[in-house]
Amino acid sequence: MLIRILLVMSLLLNLPAMALQGKVIDGVSYPANSAEVWLQKFRDALHNLNFTLSFVVTRGNAETRPYIWRHGIVDGISMEHLSQLNGPGSEIFRIGDKVSFFEPNSVAFSLQSSHINGPVPLTFFESPIKLAEAYSFVVVGRTRVSGRAAQQIRIVSEDGSRYNTTLWLDQETGLLLKMDVNNAQGDLLEQLQVTSLDVTEAPDEYFEKIEQSRLPEISNLPNNPDLQFSWQLNFIPKGMEIIQKDRRRLVSSRDVVEYLMLSDGLVDVSVYISKDDGTVKEGGWLFHGSDTLLSISNGNIMVTVIGKIPPETANMIASSVGPVRSS
Amino acid sequence: MTQSKIENLSALVDGEQTDSKLLDELASDAELASRWQSYHLIKDGLRGELPDSLNLNIADAVAEAIENEPAIVAPNLKTQKDKKSPVWGNVVPLFRQGGQFAIAASVAVAVILGYQQFNQTSQDSDLNIAPVKAISGIPSGMSPVSLSQDRAVPKANVAEQRRKLNALLADHQQRMMLKTADDETVIEAETDEDSQQQEPK
Repeated sequence: MLIRILLVMSLLLNLPAMALQGKVIDGVSYPANSAEVWLQKFRDALHNLNFTLSFVVTRGNAETRPYIWRHGIVDGISMEHLSQLNGPGSEIFRIGDKVSFFEPNSVAFSLQSSHINGPVPLTFFESPIKLAEAYSFVVVGRTRVSGRAAQQIRIVSEDGSRYNTTLWLDQETGLLLKMDVNNAQGDLLEQLQVTSLDVTEAPDEYFEKIEQSRLPEISNLPNNPDLQFSWQLNFIPKGMEIIQKDRRRLVSSRDVVEYLMLSDGLVDVSVYISKDDGTVKEGGWLFHGSDTLLSISNGNIMVTVIGKIPPETANMIASSVGPVRSS
Repeated sequence: MTQSKIENLSALVDGEQTDSKLLDELASDAELASRWQSYHLIKDGLRGELPDSLNLNIADAVAEAIENEPAIVAPNLKTQKDKKSPVWGNVVPLFRQGGQFAIAASVAVAVILGYQQFNQTSQDSDLNIAPVKAISGIPSGMSPVSLSQDRAVPKANVAEQRRKLNALLADHQQRMMLKTADDETVIEAETDEDSQQQEPK
């Protein structure tokens, strides 16, 4: 009882200012109302709140896609549901760390992951302040988004090798209201706009309907960190690291490729090396939604880089491919 | 299978009915399930929502393809005779190890609209819907292949080129979807500080 009164009092005391207090994150203390404290509040909200978010995502010239996204803590277990609302639909469920995918025209399967990798980058669930390695944070200030008071935070690429991201976080709950990705010229490349936000005491009833025993078993994607390639990247943008390594046959073209995934947490980049059989000639590039696809070829091998990065950066990565230096 | 059951199934596919008993049967009855799949396909077809290349049983098709074909990748940039791992011969097929990964169907719809060739003047091919902006980092004399500046892409190659790039895009999108939180752990840091400072070759 006493605790409850104290809680209410502390809430009341905080209300007039609505400023976020300073906080110690990973042993470092950050001042009140700093971007780091807001990002941490966003992260905590994603983990702890029962919420239902409706949002739309627009990428480049592609059609706008509406989604519904739910999160709930049911009997201490974190559950998530992401659903695409247009077209034949795709449903992704997460119960604890089991993520199940239901897609039209394919067999359902599950993977092990503590979050769904949807339109909201995984870094915001984990340790967003680590983005400081390659980005700087700017607190822009208060504004109104989706009918609510929002805090605007910019995540700016320090060396211009990546696009800039702007977040609008709900002042009260810390949840996402809007996210923009802009290039250095300020052109909007991608936008996530929340249309409705519902934070509830109890988790959404939807989660009760999931028959957990019917979800497919977890499959393991083979990860092959020890795989030795005879090539390497001599340039990796600052803050990015190799997080996947693989060699496989592509499903639709049946070409065999060697593959690396680079990531800085916010942006993931695919690097493919394949045999050039002369179809792609000297190479080229294109925008697909907010992705850049760039291929270069020396008539022998073809290097293709795909990801949400400026073409200049894609080119620097692609043209840095060289043979492994013997050490 | 009774006529009424088939009618119910049809109604279910059309979203006119949610009968939990029927759903239970659907999960256990293979014949009913395959009929359900066909109905959805027909519906998608009528609505024009089918992906470009339709493969009903991708997992099987891929497993078979991997089984039957030797793995030939890009030629070695540098032969590594001393290394014990056979670099190119040791393909680990995702689909066989991972079991039923029929995940590609819905992401395979990425369609290349335009592709800007580096050394290509902009109006000489049907592939130029892509925004044309000069890339400052890309030298104009990029290609070691002896192609003159204004030579158009041979038409025969256009379809093949699209197919290749579509396949890569689809694979990228699939990987984005399948990326898990565990992937955040780093495999290796391949470049050191020095090489990051270097100008790429």
